[in-house]
Amino acid sequence: MRVIKGAKLVAGTTLLALALAACGNATSTGEASGAEAVRMKIGEPQKLFSPGDTVESEGAEVMAAVFAPLVKYNDDKEVVNHVADSIKTSDNKVWTIKIKEGYKWHNGEPLIAQNYVDAWNYAANQENAQSANYFFGRVQGYADLNPGEGKTPSTKEMSGLKAVDETTFRVTLSQPFSQFGTMLGYTAFYPLPKAAFDEGTGKITDAYMKKPIGQGLFKMDAPYNKGTDQTINLSLFKDFPGDKPKFEKLQFKVYTSAETAWNDLQAGSVDIQEQLPPAAISTAKAELGERYIDQADAAIGYIGFPTIASRAYDDIRLRRAISMAIDRKTITETVFSGTRAPADDFLNPLLDGYRPGACKACVYDPDAARKLYAEANGPKTLELGSNMDNGHKEWIEAVANNLRSNLGITVNVTPFEKFQQILDELDAKKYTGMFRSGWLIDYPSPENYLTPVFSTGAIKDGSNYTGYSNPEFDELLVKGDTAATMEESLKYYQKADDLLLRDLPMIPIFYYRMNAAFSENVRGVKINLLNQVEWAQVEKVV
Amino acid sequence: MGRYILRRLLQAIPVLLGATLLIYAIVFALPGDPIASMYGDKRAPENVVNAMREQYHLNDPFIVQYWHYISGAFQGNFGRTFAGVEVSSIIASKFQVTLNLAFTALVMEAVIGVGLGLYAALRRGRAQDTMVLASTLVLISVPTLVTGFVLQLLLGVKLKQSTGIEFFPISGVADGLHSYLLPAFVLAGTSIAYLTRLTRTSLAETLRADYIRTAVAKGMPRRRVVGRHALRNALIPLVTYLGADLGTLMGGAVITETIFNLPGIGQELFRSVYERQQPVVVGIVTLLVLVYILANLIVDLLYAVLDPRIRYE
Repeated sequence: MRVIKGAKLVAGTTLLALALAACGNATSTGEASGAEAVRMKIGEPQKLFSPGDTVESEGAEVMAAVFAPLVKYNDDKEVVNHVADSIKTSDNKVWTIKIKEGYKWHNGEPLIAQNYVDAWNYAANQENAQSANYFFGRVQGYADLNPGEGKTPSTKEMSGLKAVDETTFRVTLSQPFSQFGTMLGYTAFYPLPKAAFDEGTGKITDAYMKKPIGQGLFKMDAPYNKGTDQTINLSLFKDFPGDKPKFEKLQFKVYTSAETAWNDLQAGSVDIQEQLPPAAISTAKAELGERYIDQADAAIGYIGFPTIASRAYDDIRLRRAISMAIDRKTITETVFSGTRAPADDFLNPLLDGYRPGACKACVYDPDAARKLYAEANGPKTLELGSNMDNGHKEWIEAVANNLRSNLGITVNVTPFEKFQQILDELDAKKYTGMFRSGWLIDYPSPENYLTPVFSTGAIKDGSNYTGYSNPEFDELLVKGDTAATMEESLKYYQKADDLLLRDLPMIPIFYYRMNAAFSENVRGVKINLLNQVEWAQVEKVV
Repeated sequence: MGRYILRRLLQAIPVLLGATLLIYAIVFALPGDPIASMYGDKRAPENVVNAMREQYHLNDPFIVQYWHYISGAFQGNFGRTFAGVEVSSIIASKFQVTLNLAFTALVMEAVIGVGLGLYAALRRGRAQDTMVLASTLVLISVPTLVTGFVLQLLLGVKLKQSTGIEFFPISGVADGLHSYLLPAFVLAGTSIAYLTRLTRTSLAETLRADYIRTAVAKGMPRRRVVGRHALRNALIPLVTYLGADLGTLMGGAVITETIFNLPGIGQELFRSVYERQQPVVVGIVTLLVLVYILANLIVDLLYAVLDPRIRYE
């Protein structure tokens, strides 16, 4: 009899397994309609959605479909008005922004100037702990909302931000800044509807962050449950006044592995993938032809020299020698399989102002490097620190090998678990060697490659990790920021760039590339300067 | 029997509590600020980091943080991730996926493994036996990573491209049980091979026992000899293996889950450790400990079913 009991148990377990599997069926809803939707691969957004708190690319991609920015960037890399009807300034300090009529929120409310004022004040207030808080640092009155840790802001509004009428608002900056108009296309500058805020606390509600109401091309079908949902489904917003795409449904599919998404793309189960896995790059062009996109990306990878933590790298010749000893071309081609391009300027080819070959010390010349290194009496041992996640290990090892063989010295690679650890140890002067670094712009202006990474003001609050401080450089930035025209600004920024090329506080190693692909189901996929798909031009092939 | 089960379950309580403390401490000891690390290569804005550290009690000493966590857990509040999502909702949905995957794999493992082992044991020394042994050897030596990608490419991409029909979905859980078949097979791969070999050896040994010879000698039909007398005795080591394997299948499915984009707890655990999401890590590990404890208990109870000489009281 006992055998029969045992058999019952085994059968019971099997039934349980089947029942559980069947439950799985019930939990996965929403993708049944996936057949007619345009499907795009994303990684899991880091946080729930809120203009002031979505600072990473995956969440920003979704937000870009739900919201329409004030400005966009055209094929010639110029800023063009989108929701904004006009953006005017006479002194780069007071900016008057007028929005076009006819825009509506997905819940039917009309879009008004006050929506921008509310959203920006919210993001700038330290009490709300919004990641994009620093974007508003140039607006007058920002300091009042950010008195520092443990203190409560005395007001909830920045004095420099006022709605003049229903469709016009005025932004007063604390210092003139010619690039302010360029910043306005970024996620942080999206508006928020009245419905976003809780009436009691004045905070953005959880419900809103799960299902943001925007004024853009697509509205979300259902709240997004971060961590559990594998898809985000959106539908075309019929009342959108601008150009609309020729398909109704958009779906973001969350993947953890680029390889899996690439397999899905080949099998036709996903339509757009923005970054292909390195292994796919070599064959993608031949396999996909027109459906493969290889374009410049806004990020740069550097190796930096500490100036505060150590004085060992003070000799410019030493830094030049190290730079010349690195074979950027081979590293980008072999280690990165072409997903990076050799860097030859502190500005990025994505934007105006970039000058090919500007960095003379970026040309590979091992003989000259060795000679220069000896002249500078460089140390016999160098430290090269890097965080080893996100695929940094391989290229750092390659750079170390270059330095070893070309300079005839010992190079110790110091591994760090995360990049923030390098910063902590540099600040504490515990680590005193060279270190890897990178920069992705916040808004597509050449200025953004300079001020946040190399200006004196950025040592404390920005991303100037080397501690480079050059009054002449800072002054050129101010001249660029206050210049009357874009062309004039650019001239000053290039002069500032020249100083960096001379001083080499960091050495640029590579530019990132955007290696995207799309399936046969879609046409006209274009990716803009912010690495976001321009949905209005996308067509679905039936 | 009932008292025995109760005693075992009560013993589990200190183990579970100890596990939470230990895991909490281990994640706590990892270097780096979890909030600042969210900013990648950029300098983390100080005011935002401070506000968030305050909100998540990160400035408190370890024991206070642990107290916040454990006292919340007893009230059914398992905390929130740094993105503000409730940990319980994340674990509930991910656990479902992993449970589906693990049980599908376990059923495959039991059916295919025991079946093949039985087949080989009854044809011991013949060509079929050698073939089963050789193929399991291959299955054991090829890593999951390879079988996963190869099967995904062949059965998911190439087959669909050449026939136009989707036999196996490559990723996600949208197709219900269907989406689990391929990943479950990949996950179960090595275990199938082990179980086949274990069944074969165990059964072959039992078949040589005196009582089997007696049963055959008294003219019992072969089917009955093998099924009732030999297999039942040979099952004990197999049940032990299957029970222990359930835990491994659940906690060790990171690679399979990543390849097939299944949002399960393996993947979540991996990411949460990386992101220092203490409440998530502790929640998942505690749950896994619970699964191990329950699986062990069930295995022990099954012993009594299989072998009447074993009694618990």
